[in-house]
Amino acid sequence: MSDVHHEGDSVTLDDGEVEMATEVVSGKSAGGLPVFTPQHGALHWLGRVLVFALPLAYLLMRVFGVTGIVGGGWSNSGLGLLADAFIIAIAVMGVNLITGYTGQLSIGHSAFFAIGAYTGLVLTQGRVSTPFFGDENVWDPGWTIPVAAALCFLVGCVVGLPALRLKGIYLALTTLVFVEAVRSILKYEKFEDVTGGATGIKGDKYTPPEYVFDFFGIKLPTGLDGRADLNQWMIYLSLALLLFIMLMVSGIMRSRIGRAMVATRDNELAAEVMGVNLSVIKTVAFGLSGAITGIGGALFGLKLGLVDADVPLFGLFGAITLLVAMVVGGAAQNWGPMVGAVFYVFVNEIARSIGEAPADYEAVFTITLIVLVAVVMVVVARYVMQHRNDIRANVSNGAWKAVLVVVGSMSALVAAGVMLLGISDGGKLDGLGGVIFGVLLILFARFVPFGAVGTFRIFRSRFVQIIPKPPSESRAAKAPEGVQVQGR
Amino acid sequence: MSLFIQRMFDGLAEGSIYALLALALVVIFRSTGQLNFAQGEIGTLCAFFASTFTLSGLPVWVAILLAMAIGFLIAAFVERVVVRPIENRNPGAVIVALIGVFLAVNQLSAMFWGVDARSLPSLFPTNADSFFRIGDAAIRWERVGIIGVLAVVVVLLFLLFNRTKIGLAMRAVANNQESSNLVGIRVGNILILGWGLAGAIGALAAVMLAPSAGLTGTLMLGPFLYASVAAVLGGLDSPVGAVVGGLLIGLLKAFLIGYVDFLSDMLFPVMLVVLLSVLLFRPAGLFGTEKVERV
Repeated sequence: MSDVHHEGDSVTLDDGEVEMATEVVSGKSAGGLPVFTPQHGALHWLGRVLVFALPLAYLLMRVFGVTGIVGGGWSNSGLGLLADAFIIAIAVMGVNLITGYTGQLSIGHSAFFAIGAYTGLVLTQGRVSTPFFGDENVWDPGWTIPVAAALCFLVGCVVGLPALRLKGIYLALTTLVFVEAVRSILKYEKFEDVTGGATGIKGDKYTPPEYVFDFFGIKLPTGLDGRADLNQWMIYLSLALLLFIMLMVSGIMRSRIGRAMVATRDNELAAEVMGVNLSVIKTVAFGLSGAITGIGGALFGLKLGLVDADVPLFGLFGAITLLVAMVVGGAAQNWGPMVGAVFYVFVNEIARSIGEAPADYEAVFTITLIVLVAVVMVVVARYVMQHRNDIRANVSNGAWKAVLVVVGSMSALVAAGVMLLGISDGGKLDGLGGVIFGVLLILFARFVPFGAVGTFRIFRSRFVQIIPKPPSESRAAKAPEGVQVQGR
Repeated sequence: MSLFIQRMFDGLAEGSIYALLALALVVIFRSTGQLNFAQGEIGTLCAFFASTFTLSGLPVWVAILLAMAIGFLIAAFVERVVVRPIENRNPGAVIVALIGVFLAVNQLSAMFWGVDARSLPSLFPTNADSFFRIGDAAIRWERVGIIGVLAVVVVLLFLLFNRTKIGLAMRAVANNQESSNLVGIRVGNILILGWGLAGAIGALAAVMLAPSAGLTGTLMLGPFLYASVAAVLGGLDSPVGAVVGGLLIGLLKAFLIGYVDFLSDMLFPVMLVVLLSVLLFRPAGLFGTEKVERV
């Protein structure tokens, strides 16, 4: 029995997701009373959408510079960013499935992203002969998405096979080399007919449909200002796919396979003893996660309209980007990828605009220097305070440590000074976003291991009170004995 | 034949860089069981420091020594501040944090030194006529110099590990941290020392590579991957393995580029195959110790 049976006797919090190890509030209620499971009716969801989603949507629009509702015209780059955020969120869903839920750290999912993007453009540009599909090998953009997913599923399964025996750093290293290997293959000149070699593929602009849907005369135009705009269409498309994938993943995680994945993550040996077929589970998880990331890649390629192997998101830094978004949002959290991706795109954009603007470098670096000096002083002071007895009692021992600390802090200052020298001959704040995200990864790994969503849930669960309903009113009580009904 | 000798020296010189970097990886893996994903990037940052030092008029060898000292400090800082607090959590956390260091350090160099290539003078003569001949093959002194640097580092490391008390302590910590603690070794300091040593070696590898490869932010991205494959090939816990593996990978790369035309652009797929075959068929590598897991 690999299935974890706590359907009936777990307390379902709020919107009914208990899969994360951080928040399992399980156990039978006192006195054998059936447990209250909230009934999620249509009204519940309507209320939720009104209370949470609409303000959030409005906020996102303001954040990304979409001011059309209050006038002032649509900011096209803002819409493009929002679409990017949803597309990256889809890709991160894939990483989350394999790394967050199944516990196999992959730093190689940008490869699937690249494969998905290439698939989309190769098919829409008719670069391979597909006798039974498409008009003269030229595919409709929409139909390339499932093909990309299927292809990435296959590649993922193949990659997953050796990964069965690898763990930890070995798996991380292998996936890292995998990214570069895929990039070399995509660049390879012998495959130029299909992949375009080093120059990549430049496609025609993807023309979005005029109406989002056209249903018995009820028409919803794609562009809210009347024009069919690619960015707006990509927002609808990617958001719809993202929500679908979130629903799918949350379903998977409640299924037998999903429970087996979590069991594999938590303790491989125990999972195997319980009857989980590790090789099948890991292979399927790798395939599925590859497929999901591939869908994101296909959308990315269609939106961009051109691909080449040097697109940053396809390489090593793309893989790290996906990791950042997953860690910031929260590993093994269904809403994590969306939060993380929106955060990533938003902060990246701000950092980019700061880096590009003719910034007041002297002020920036004076502040940096002051912060550095302050940090060093605090560290030294803390060290001296902690070890003052040591230093007094054992002068020689304390003395060399103190010397070490002083030398270390002095060299940190010298290093800062040299960096300022480097700036003086023409540096720009190019890498600001990267530095921020790198530091965030370090900080999240140490202080916020469950990410933004996970931490929010932990925080929220302090305010949840579980009130058992009287048996007669609960739906679970009406069910026949032995059959557990969970109202969703 | 002369072409063969020339390619062999090219491969050995390139391989020496990988061997240095692999040595750094092995020193860290032995002490903490981590693969330092930021190793290459710390080296790149140090090479940028060295280039700024030489610009300000310092002799090259002083700049290199200073860069190594900075590498020592950065790596020691990473161990103490980033790795140690989360060491005992799940292994994924440390990898994620080290990837964070990778990204931050890489982008830091872009932030302070820009994205244009910098110049870093070589320690060895690089004039057009500074080579010697074996038969018809022209061997550049620079390449021989890099191989020589590797030899010196290997000898110094051997002396450090086998002839000094600190080296003994480092081997003891690598073997068993708890017992080392019980016999009075300050494990924390030894770990910092090990990471610092690796940082210095990594910085040395970067400043050796920079003059010929051009100093940009992406200097060590490829070499880091080659060096990690080399370290796994040789056995992640074996310094001898790191050197042999590094030289082997360097030779393999040089000969693939030289003789196997259709694979010369497909080095990373080849590396993936090498890595996977080592991990699947001989996980301990050529010289590593077999791990016995008690279940």
